[in-house]
Amino acid sequence: MILVCGGLADGVTELVCARLEHSGYPYRLLDLARYPSGYRVAWRWTDAGPAGTIAGPDWVLDLDDLTGVYVRFLGAEGRLPPDGEPEAAAALQFEADAGLLALLENLRCPVVNRTGGGMSNNSKPYQSLLLRRAGLKVPSTLVTSDPAAARAFQAEYGDVIYKSASGIRSIVRRLGETQQARLAFLRDGPAQFQAFVPGRNVRVHTVGDAVFATRIETEAVDYRYAHLDGLSVAMTAVTLPAAVKAACLRVARDLDLVFAGIDLKETPDGEYVCFEVNPCPGFIYYERHTGQPISAALADLLNGTAPDAWREARQPTG
Amino acid sequence: MSSWDAVTRGQPARVGSNPAEPTDLAVSWRTRDSGSRPVHLLLGHSEDSCCTGVVARLAARGLSALIVASPLIPPARLAWRLADDGLTARLDLGEGPVEIAGVLVRGTPSLDPTGWAPVDHAYMQAETLSATLAWLAGLPCPVINRPSAAQWYGGRPSLLSWRPLLRDCGLLAPEQVITNDRAEAGAFRLRLEADGVAGAIYVPLTGGAGYLVATDAAWEGLADLQQRSPVCLSEPHGAAHPACIVGGEVIWDDDASPESRALAPRLRQLAAVARLDFLEVAIASLRRGLGVVMVEPMPVLEHFAPPTRGRILDALTALLAPSAAEAEAVR
Repeated sequence: MILVCGGLADGVTELVCARLEHSGYPYRLLDLARYPSGYRVAWRWTDAGPAGTIAGPDWVLDLDDLTGVYVRFLGAEGRLPPDGEPEAAAALQFEADAGLLALLENLRCPVVNRTGGGMSNNSKPYQSLLLRRAGLKVPSTLVTSDPAAARAFQAEYGDVIYKSASGIRSIVRRLGETQQARLAFLRDGPAQFQAFVPGRNVRVHTVGDAVFATRIETEAVDYRYAHLDGLSVAMTAVTLPAAVKAACLRVARDLDLVFAGIDLKETPDGEYVCFEVNPCPGFIYYERHTGQPISAALADLLNGTAPDAWREARQPTG
Repeated sequence: MSSWDAVTRGQPARVGSNPAEPTDLAVSWRTRDSGSRPVHLLLGHSEDSCCTGVVARLAARGLSALIVASPLIPPARLAWRLADDGLTARLDLGEGPVEIAGVLVRGTPSLDPTGWAPVDHAYMQAETLSATLAWLAGLPCPVINRPSAAQWYGGRPSLLSWRPLLRDCGLLAPEQVITNDRAEAGAFRLRLEADGVAGAIYVPLTGGAGYLVATDAAWEGLADLQQRSPVCLSEPHGAAHPACIVGGEVIWDDDASPESRALAPRLRQLAAVARLDFLEVAIASLRRGLGVVMVEPMPVLEHFAPPTRGRILDALTALLAPSAAEAEAVR
């Protein structure tokens, strides 16, 4: 039995549920918009790990029967406001979420994804170190609060972009004259600069040991926002060189991400440069444009029917 | 076994971090600026007794040390550069570039909100945290409790988070229950009572003290709370005795029992698999024997008797700045 934790109004969660239905895989939906209201949980931790049940409106799920869990947390806007005095209600909601997180972290079946693995996405330069360790080339990067260092970096590389170093989403922009005039503000705090990497964007989704790569061609610096500049985007399924594919799988493993979205760029020299790993990839966009069976692979993995032995990953060792 | 299995088995994915030894991130470190002065940094509060105690010991050895809440706030200047030729980091704390000789991590930096619009403050706080984590990860010097991203951003992990590692190390932990089912809480109460234990401890997962739930009225109050949210209940334990793991050394208060001290190899293993150099645990009697009832990756010196505190600080200082003889012994 598969457990899906997410919101009915979330498109990705909806697609995962639809794929599970289509595949004939049994699942239960824990609606995070309402949780814990309407659910009864009874989880017990002894030396053997968690055991117990989750009960929904008309079902009871035994944790021992789980083959996989898919989780997509909702922002505050996606959740029903808790009853009662706001501060106390928020604290109780937080407590309920903490309990659910503790369960997910302790389950032995594949969980897509555990929160710990995705934490590196909050620090892009830290993640760059992990990417390099896994064998992926990363762009030359400067994180600095020193305007002189930023100027020297631009003098060295010429074409430089800047973007947030943290998990806060930002639009990638080139460092131009307007921004150069504002470099003095770096004295208030650090920012991240990178040498611009020419080439074509490639988005890789790893699902367990399966790899799906999509080439994205556009004139925009940041293809996610190409429409804002009136630019078009074309997507094609591609096969990665074996070494790059292996490195993508390695980094997903290193980060404990069963499912990951990895952003690469294929340079005119045929090199692949990695920018970041997304622990909660919204893969619909790529699946719909290329027809790659990403959600089907995810469903197989959650059901325990993927061609690898995911279920063994969290068996006790002692 | 898939390739994934081979890597994840036994991996301390959730609470692990990098060790005090130089980073394993396989990035070559380019030569630092000549003329910079070596300094030990203690990332924490200026009144933290761990920080002040280590600073005093380093000073007694003629070594430079600074306690800083955040190493990157103005007037500091950081230039962290990662390129094909390796990683360099240049930090100027306001009086010229410094050579970082070692770091003790006792907290995460916090940006003073004064003068910032809330949205800008949140952004800059996130950027500063991000840069600091990367800087720590790449430092080639000893960093005590070098944080992983999960530790840096994940807050203080509850005992539940430690259970897989405790289990792998052969350490017992109290039975715990999370439930919003009144009957399930009642069943836990009965199990405890059958073993002669009166009541359970309500443990808020989001922090704060635990409460003993022992009387009928307290159980009724808990049932009311369960209507709003699942609660975490834990098996009560006997008097807890702290132990501190510093490097490979387990340090106890003098009154620790031989039975507790016998757990030392397993505690060393716990610190090793968690990849923490400085770790506090509390040992107490449970229904099935001695177990770990608290794990604290940010040890509190005041939990220990004064003579023990001195031994902890000595060990911590030796780990941060090994003397020539200690370094030779390690080699």
